[in-house]
This record gives sequence, structure tokens and C-alpha cells, in this order.
Amino acid sequence: MTILRAVAAELAGMFWTDRWLAGATLGLVGVVAGVALRLPGQPLVTGGLLLVGCVVILIGVVRRGARQAVRR
Amino acid sequence: MSILVWSTAVPAIGSAFLASVVEVVEAFTIVLAVGTMRGWRAAAAGTAAALAVLGGLIASFGSMLTRAPLHELQLVIGILLLLFGMGWLRKAILRAAGVIALHDETAIFSAQTDAMQRTPAGSAAAVGTDAWDWVAAAAAFKAVLLEGLEVVFIVIAVGSGRGLLWPASLGAMAAATVVLAAGLAVRRPLARVPENTLKFGVGVMLSSFGVFWTGEGLGIAWPGQDLALALFALIFLAAGLATARQLQSQLFSSSQEVR
Repeated sequence: MTILRAVAAELAGMFWTDRWLAGATLGLVGVVAGVALRLPGQPLVTGGLLLVGCVVILIGVVRRGARQAVRR
Repeated sequence: MSILVWSTAVPAIGSAFLASVVEVVEAFTIVLAVGTMRGWRAAAAGTAAALAVLGGLIASFGSMLTRAPLHELQLVIGILLLLFGMGWLRKAILRAAGVIALHDETAIFSAQTDAMQRTPAGSAAAVGTDAWDWVAAAAAFKAVLLEGLEVVFIVIAVGSGRGLLWPASLGAMAAATVVLAAGLAVRRPLARVPENTLKFGVGVMLSSFGVFWTGEGLGIAWPGQDLALALFALIFLAAGLATARQLQSQLFSSSQEVR
């Protein structure tokens, strides 16, 4: 049971290291899915939105993590 | 093989290899502590049992996923890769900038050695006796299983979308062999492996795969097809390095102000 609990915690931690990262990423995928439905055949717009959005989210969560670590 | 196949195969096998190096180094530290303090028989048995479970997971999930509808599979795996890859990259950037401490294998080895000494049958007398040391075997099993789960996910995620499950598995196994051979040769924690640099690289590759698969799952036809992966990797790498450098200089200037 202890090992099963540890496995479950490890699996959850793999995809939920930071709730802002997870929430923003899922939100971005939702927005891109909506744009892809409205603008079919526009890979540069939808793909660009996904790529740029991921980079912006990454920089945002790193800066947020740094602020939290410095405060501690 | 065409250049388009190689443009996916090389990052897939490379990601599996590098991620496996990172995780096997971490698992090896704990197995080494268990083996040193409690004997190698239990450590080896626990390790072998965990490797069998991990191999079974790859075989069963891998074959199951090859039968799943491609677009849905790409979307789900792409989102998981984004969460996982950007999580690794976030931590690697914070470590590279000096905001959080680097992973210290020597300290982990000491802590694990102390823990093994404190648990029942941890005395030196227990080593070399015929009694089966379940605690030691369980400790090795748990360490290898937990560290190996991330490798299993990476192998399945980067390998299942393009039928690269076997090459990715071989990449991971090659890394495990190299690390174990090096570890058994030196018989001490592999503290000089540039773990954060490897994590940075794997984070960049997995995030790129995540954008690629998620986009394909949403029906985006990437210009340049698989070659777009290289561009994504360059963009994530540049953004990660620039953010780490900026945080480093901010930390330096704030420490100068305190003085």
C-alpha cells in the first residue's frame, strides 16, 4: 500500500508540479482549440498561438517561482 | 530512413536516453546506499523486480496506445508532455539561475545510508547473513520504480506517436547500462554527472514534443512537418537560457545591494 501511494503521488507530481503552470497550459490548449475550430486551415495563427503561449507561460511560472523562492 | 523520420527519431531516442541518464543516476545513488549498508543480494533483487515492472508497463501501455485513435492520442500525450516537459524546464531554469539548489547525489547518498542504518536489521552484522532482507529489497525496488516511472512516461510519450517505442526503449536501456557500468566501476554516487544540464535539455525536447503533438492533435498542420520540432527546441532553449541569465543577474544585483 505504501508503494502504491508513493507511485500515485509520483504520477500526480509528474504533471502537477506547479498549479499555475498546469492551469495556464490547460487554459491555453482550450483557447487554441477554440481558435482552431473558428479558423480552420490557419496553422501559422493557431500553431503560433500555441507555441508563443507556452513560452510566455514558461517564463511567467519561472519568474513566479523565483519570486516565491526569494521571499522564503 | 528519410530526413523527416530522423527529425523525430533522433529527438525521441535522445530524450529517452538523456532522461534515463538523469533518473538512473538518482536511482543508482539509493541502490548503492542500500547495497553498501545491507548487502548486494537484496539491492539487486529489488532493482531487478522494479525493472521488470517498468518493462511490463512499457510493453502493456505501449501496445495498447498503438491501437488508440491517432489524433486523440496525440492530443492527450501532447498535453501531458507540455505539463511534464515545462515542469522539468521550469525547475532546471530555476536551478541554473541559482534560485534553488542543485540536486546533490552525495547528500542523498549520506541520508539514505543513515536511513538504512537506522531501520531494523541495519547493523553490519546483518550483511553477509543468509536471512532475506526485505526492507533493503523494498527500498531498492521503490527507488528504481519511482525514478523509472518518469522514464516509462517519456519512452511511451515520445515513442508511441510515430511507432518509435522500441528505439526509445533501447535509448533508455542504453543509458541505464552506461550509468550502471560507470557506477559499478567507481562504487560511489555519480555526483559529477551534469544533471541539471541534462534536465534542461530533456525539458526543452519534451516541451517541443508537447507543442508538436498537441498541435497535431488539434488538427494543426505544422509548416515543415517534423522539422518544426527543431525550431520549437531552439525557441524553448533560447527562452530558457535568457530567463536563467536574467534571474541570475537580478539575484547578483540584489545580493550586491544587501552588502
